[in-house]
Amino acid sequence: MPLHLNLLHEEILELRQRQRDPLKIGLSAMIAAGALMFGYYSWNAYQTLEIKSRLSIVQRDWAKVEPRVTAAQKRAAELRRTVDTTKVLDTMIDNRFFWAPFLEKLSRCVAPNAQLTSFDGTADETKGVTVSIEGLSAGREPRAEAEELRHLLGEQLGKNYKDVKVEFKTLEDLDTMANLGGANLPMARFVLNVEFNPFEAAKPAAPARMRKSKDEAKQAD
Amino acid sequence: MKQSKLTKDQIQKLLLSVVGFIVLLYVYFTFFLGPLNRSRTSMLAKIDELQAKIGSSKSEITKASSLERQAGTATTRFADLQSLTPEGAPIAWFPPRVKTFFANHGIDRATARLESSAPFTEPELAGWIRYNWSIDVPQVDFASLGDSLAALENSEPLLAVTKLSIKASAELPQFQQATIAATATLMKR
Repeated sequence: MPLHLNLLHEEILELRQRQRDPLKIGLSAMIAAGALMFGYYSWNAYQTLEIKSRLSIVQRDWAKVEPRVTAAQKRAAELRRTVDTTKVLDTMIDNRFFWAPFLEKLSRCVAPNAQLTSFDGTADETKGVTVSIEGLSAGREPRAEAEELRHLLGEQLGKNYKDVKVEFKTLEDLDTMANLGGANLPMARFVLNVEFNPFEAAKPAAPARMRKSKDEAKQAD
Repeated sequence: MKQSKLTKDQIQKLLLSVVGFIVLLYVYFTFFLGPLNRSRTSMLAKIDELQAKIGSSKSEITKASSLERQAGTATTRFADLQSLTPEGAPIAWFPPRVKTFFANHGIDRATARLESSAPFTEPELAGWIRYNWSIDVPQVDFASLGDSLAALENSEPLLAVTKLSIKASAELPQFQQATIAATATLMKR
């Protein structure tokens, strides 16, 4: 077997040690990892730039739409306010109590031998309508005449209003006599309390003049 | 088997490399990738938000235009109701208006005076005020009063008669004396 002499033993060992240098290996690994990380970062940065360009497109779109939307929102809010206000006002208008039809009914219930001297009425949306009617009746049976008025008024009001109550507050005979058609007839003084609720029942038909004016208004529209 | 034993110097270098690698990772994630990802996430969120806004805005615009069509009647009605309140202070124009109204119905000497005024509690009526008036008609016959009252109630939709008092006139039995308490809903001017 031939004998091999390694005369470069020390140099080779040194070279091997240089190659196995952990710092060098570490640096190489770090450079490799750094390159990988840089690649990954570049890829992410590219994606981010793409997203940024998408964002700027969307922002441009929004800038175009925004003034129109703001104006539309403002207008819609204004319209909603108008609609709501009109609704509330219309409800108020519809819930009004019309005194003229009531007065018309009252005048039709008063017989020629009765006279009303005072009328006090209050309309309240929550409490209903309360009326106090003071008057005089004359006849052979003046109390019966007053009762006839009370009965007729209750009947007539019941046709149009709910919860009608017509009651005497006072009914008293008077000493004075009334001359009706040449005959002296005894008299009675009465105070009627009338209560009813006009706000839930069907409203009385509007007077002819009103209907006409409303029709005219509609025609004008 | 060949044993590879690290020298002290090599261990130090190895440790230094590990520390350097950790530092590199920290710097990379904290100062490079982290902010980039955060910015990307925020931009994506912003895109989603804007796209949602754009989507809803389109329906908003459509809704507004359909509301505009639907509210046509209400708008006209509102304008009509607004036009019932003339310019100026109500105390200046309401009493003459009432006087003229009753005079046109053959009733003279009707006077109106302001009792009180108050804003409405309803938020819908924030731009409106309630004025309480007392209208005195010293001499009127029942039929004319009823007739004029009907006309007043119908020509003034925002006027509600809350109290009505009619008394027989002492001097002239054919006439009555009436007091009307009315609430007028008027626009703030």
